[in-house]
Amino acid sequence: MLPLRPVCGGIWRAAVHTVRMSRGAPPYRLFSSTCDGAPAALADADTIFALSSGHGRCGVAVVRVSGPASATALRCMAGFTQRLPPPRTALLRSITDPRSTEVLDRGLVLWFPGSVPGLRPAEAGEFTRRAFQAGKLGLTEVEGLGDLIHAETEAQRRQALRQMSGELGRLYQDWSDRLKRCLAHVEAFIDFSEDELIEDGVLNRVDVSVSDLQAEIERHLKDERRGERLRSGVQVVIAGATNAGKSSLLNKLCQRPAAIVSPIAGTTRDVVETALDLGGFPVLLSDTAGLRDSSDLVEREGVRRARERVEQADLTLVVVDSAHLPSEVDRAAAFLREHLRSVLPDTDRCLLVLNKADLLPEKQRQKLDTELRGVSGLPAVRLISCQTNEGLKAFLTVLHSSVKTLCGDPLFGAPTLTQARHRAHLQRCAAALAQYQRYRDTDLALAAEGVRLAVTSLGRITGRVGAEEILDIIFKDFCIGK
Amino acid sequence: TNRECASHMLRKKLPFLHSLLSPVSRHVGHLTGHQYDVIVVGGGHAGTEAAAAAARVGAETLLITQKIHTIGALSCNPSLGGVGKGQLVKEVDALDGLCGRAGDWAGIHFSILNRRKGPAVWGPRAQLDRQRYRDFIQSELLSTPRLTMVEGSVEELLVTEPNPEEPGHHRVTGIRLANGSHAISARSVVLTTGTFLSGSLFVGQTTSPGGRIGDAPSSAGLSHTLRERLGLRTGRLRTGTPPRIVKDSVDLSLAKLHLPDSHPTPFSFLNTHTHCKPEEQLPCYLTFTTPGVERVVRESLQLNCHIQQDTKGPRYCPSIESRVLRFPGRSHQVWLEPEGVTSDLLYPQGLSMTMPPDIQLRLIREIPPMRRAEIHTPGYGVQYDFVCPTQLSPALQVKSTQGLFLAGQINGTTGYEEAAAQGLWAGANAARSALSMPTVTLSRTESYIGVLIDDLVSRGVTEPYRMFTSRAEFRTSLRPDNADLRLTPKGFEEVGCVSSVRYQESLRVRNSLQDALTALQALFLSTSSWKKKLPSVPISETKSTLLTGLDLLQYNDVTFEMLASAFPESLSSFMEFAQRLKIEAVYKPHCDLNKKEIERIQREENMSLPQDIDYFSLPVSLSDEVREILDRVRPSTLGAATRLEGITPAAVVNLLNYVRVTEKKKETHRNQRQQEHTLKF
Repeated sequence: MLPLRPVCGGIWRAAVHTVRMSRGAPPYRLFSSTCDGAPAALADADTIFALSSGHGRCGVAVVRVSGPASATALRCMAGFTQRLPPPRTALLRSITDPRSTEVLDRGLVLWFPGSVPGLRPAEAGEFTRRAFQAGKLGLTEVEGLGDLIHAETEAQRRQALRQMSGELGRLYQDWSDRLKRCLAHVEAFIDFSEDELIEDGVLNRVDVSVSDLQAEIERHLKDERRGERLRSGVQVVIAGATNAGKSSLLNKLCQRPAAIVSPIAGTTRDVVETALDLGGFPVLLSDTAGLRDSSDLVEREGVRRARERVEQADLTLVVVDSAHLPSEVDRAAAFLREHLRSVLPDTDRCLLVLNKADLLPEKQRQKLDTELRGVSGLPAVRLISCQTNEGLKAFLTVLHSSVKTLCGDPLFGAPTLTQARHRAHLQRCAAALAQYQRYRDTDLALAAEGVRLAVTSLGRITGRVGAEEILDIIFKDFCIGK
Repeated sequence: TNRECASHMLRKKLPFLHSLLSPVSRHVGHLTGHQYDVIVVGGGHAGTEAAAAAARVGAETLLITQKIHTIGALSCNPSLGGVGKGQLVKEVDALDGLCGRAGDWAGIHFSILNRRKGPAVWGPRAQLDRQRYRDFIQSELLSTPRLTMVEGSVEELLVTEPNPEEPGHHRVTGIRLANGSHAISARSVVLTTGTFLSGSLFVGQTTSPGGRIGDAPSSAGLSHTLRERLGLRTGRLRTGTPPRIVKDSVDLSLAKLHLPDSHPTPFSFLNTHTHCKPEEQLPCYLTFTTPGVERVVRESLQLNCHIQQDTKGPRYCPSIESRVLRFPGRSHQVWLEPEGVTSDLLYPQGLSMTMPPDIQLRLIREIPPMRRAEIHTPGYGVQYDFVCPTQLSPALQVKSTQGLFLAGQINGTTGYEEAAAQGLWAGANAARSALSMPTVTLSRTESYIGVLIDDLVSRGVTEPYRMFTSRAEFRTSLRPDNADLRLTPKGFEEVGCVSSVRYQESLRVRNSLQDALTALQALFLSTSSWKKKLPSVPISETKSTLLTGLDLLQYNDVTFEMLASAFPESLSSFMEFAQRLKIEAVYKPHCDLNKKEIERIQREENMSLPQDIDYFSLPVSLSDEVREILDRVRPSTLGAATRLEGITPAAVVNLLNYVRVTEKKKETHRNQRQQEHTLKF
């Protein structure tokens, strides 16, 4: 269930409050959908849905649906076949798959007719547009909607403020200031250089600024999604051959029997997820089916899903049964390298967990433990025993530091992106700056259009920039006559 | 034939003005009791465009001005157009206004500014011969049907008592002239008083009433009516003009020669050439201030009333004093511009000043080419009243006074082009209102005139408002080259201010451009075929895709001429539009991107907010701050409200919600009343 674009907002909200299902979800999963009944006349008013609570550490899940088809979604997924539920009333419903009619979950459903601004800042005027469209559908019946919207936009504003007051905010503000100055200087060059004394050097300075900014923003965008991980949780996947003890490791890590453990190979056939807090960092831990060729259709599907998870993982814990290791260290390293290749597309982001260490002779155990460290072509290796808890503490330390690196320690280094929405606007901003470079020498009006677009895109994060603000800079920096 | 007709217009001989003017207009007695559709007060750029537009729309129009012979006078700089301003001139022309054609007649130095910066920001500009400009405007007005001109000073604006049902709301009924008690009635009045409304002139430490040197200000009665009777909020603005320099006393060899374009480009879409022949054009000269200029300014500050009062001045630098004080230690540009073919004066652009005349002379003599220069007329400052333009509708009608329209500097703008644009729009609407037709508006998405008016009526002014291209969000779509396509059809079909000759010409152009673009898109060749056809063009062959002629035209090095010579059978008939087609092709992708945003804004602008809302008592959830902003600005559409700073999305929805409920209630109420009415009989 991936959001099509990071958007929420709309007219009704279905909140589904479920008793947790068996597969390691948070204790309460609250699906909430916000649906917006704008007519389909607007091509851009597509129906959008998103998990609006974060992954990972949240106790409840809120799913919001917004757009013209949201009423339909409510009808076919929450069983309101006759008529829609009364607005703003929470109802406990079964949420069903519209095709198979299988019950997916139970939860609270809330329907908000009318237009609600999303958690992204409305694009200039877009809000009104939706409101207008909604008005046709009886917005007027909903008294107090404005207050609700107000509360939401307030919450949104406060949320944005909290985010913006930190280091990230300062970074964006600095970019915004520099971009505004670039725009002001290009605009001054266009509007005044023929009558007033505006040196040619102005544009050269803008060229430098624009390419610096573009490089900085692109670098920032390549932060490997650390900020988003912090918000949604690091995806850690446990993978490996059957019966290596993957489910045992999951149960150890979440300190409860989340997955069924048995000595029978192939016990886990689907992905089992659990959210946990690892030294303050949110982690979404998944246990997967053991990787092996199987004639069992269900198990084969499980293996397919396991491989899919591994590909999407931020960090993979490859669990190996120590008893299967060759006794010579050199051969063991080669074995592990070979094994890793069969499990992972690349070995950059994984930890090697040698489980069932208790089954090895003490001597071999120590030898492996010391000599496998620092072998080239192998990731960090830790011997543990889920049975005796041996090595578990040391393993947790390694895991914690890996997760911390993935999240980006907020105390160190460059600020990271926390929202997919910011990413989208920054990408547009960087692309617009490329437009400036493309047209710089052939058509300054089109080049300036690039800087304008860049200012608008960044403005969607830092606040709208009006023509007057640009003129303020022009008149401050240049002597412009009557 | 349309084109021939168009070029004939320039060849038309100007009539002998003085013999014509005196009998027609010096005597006002016969006008008393006469009912006009529209009265225009003022004969500057706004007034002349307003009067001509009103008459074109079909209104019996009277133009009243203090001195007939100053109609069409260029009070300040002898030039028209420029970056941003040139766009306005093209748009006024596209709506059949006067200033573009007058510029083509009177221009003596034509250049397209920003020639190397992209066609969207090209700035058509011309130095003008003052006498020729005035002659053209006067002749044009004299030959305009339904238009009468009269000399006089307006003493009072006649309005009805406030409507008891709508307190504070009046209707205009005419004007009263100062000499005697002549009342002339009209359904609409357009005020274009320029700097004359409570105007006062400043030179050194002396202040005298006046709107322009040698001309009295408008009567105190007029200001009184606007402020006291109609309760309009006014403010005070300042401007200034430089001294005029005796040309023979300037050593122009010490200044940098600045030549015009070798092929003058006319402003008007109807003209293929300018009155002035290319070789007859006059040059301008560029020179720079010296540290001596700054010294003179500083030494004379205590003798300079105007600049001392500069407490909350504009952000830009309106005078040489403000330039050297705000940007000290620099050299500032001074343009020496010709005032006309036969004039022996130079206009020093950039040297507006208000110090005593003897110090003005000392100052200009600090500039090398003017070491021995003589001043013909000293520079001076003007302060004048303006009416806060947020009290106007987008038709430039005073919201609280039916039939009263304002245009030009009275609305807080500066510049001929800004005045002309408003004048045309106010005049056309005044006529429509008088003739019981609905008023019309121009969107900021379709024209610079729309940007200008929207900025004025929804944001107001804190300093004289001047047009810049940076104010137009859709600059790449609002180009000088396509003003006719944007405005002429609308001007004919919806406004009625465009002649059918011009309308037909614009349709011909539109259809030809469309046909040419279709023909270009029909040329559909592989890259290798294109390479054969156009060997000099660096076409990348790595792409295996097919390219159209339109794609090719977007290449930097490809001109329409090249394509036309490669495909003469399909393209050669469009050679007349070669340049326009090239621009269209390059800008098309960007304009297509603009389109969606433009449509969204236009939808919001179609939702009007009632002008009589009491925002303070409105029973909806709005913050005090939002109420205050809405009450102050009174946006006329939801679109205008969304653009206001400080208006939250929630406020907009609440407002929308309220308006919808009220409208519905009103409608129900009206229906009920109608039913009751029917029952009684």
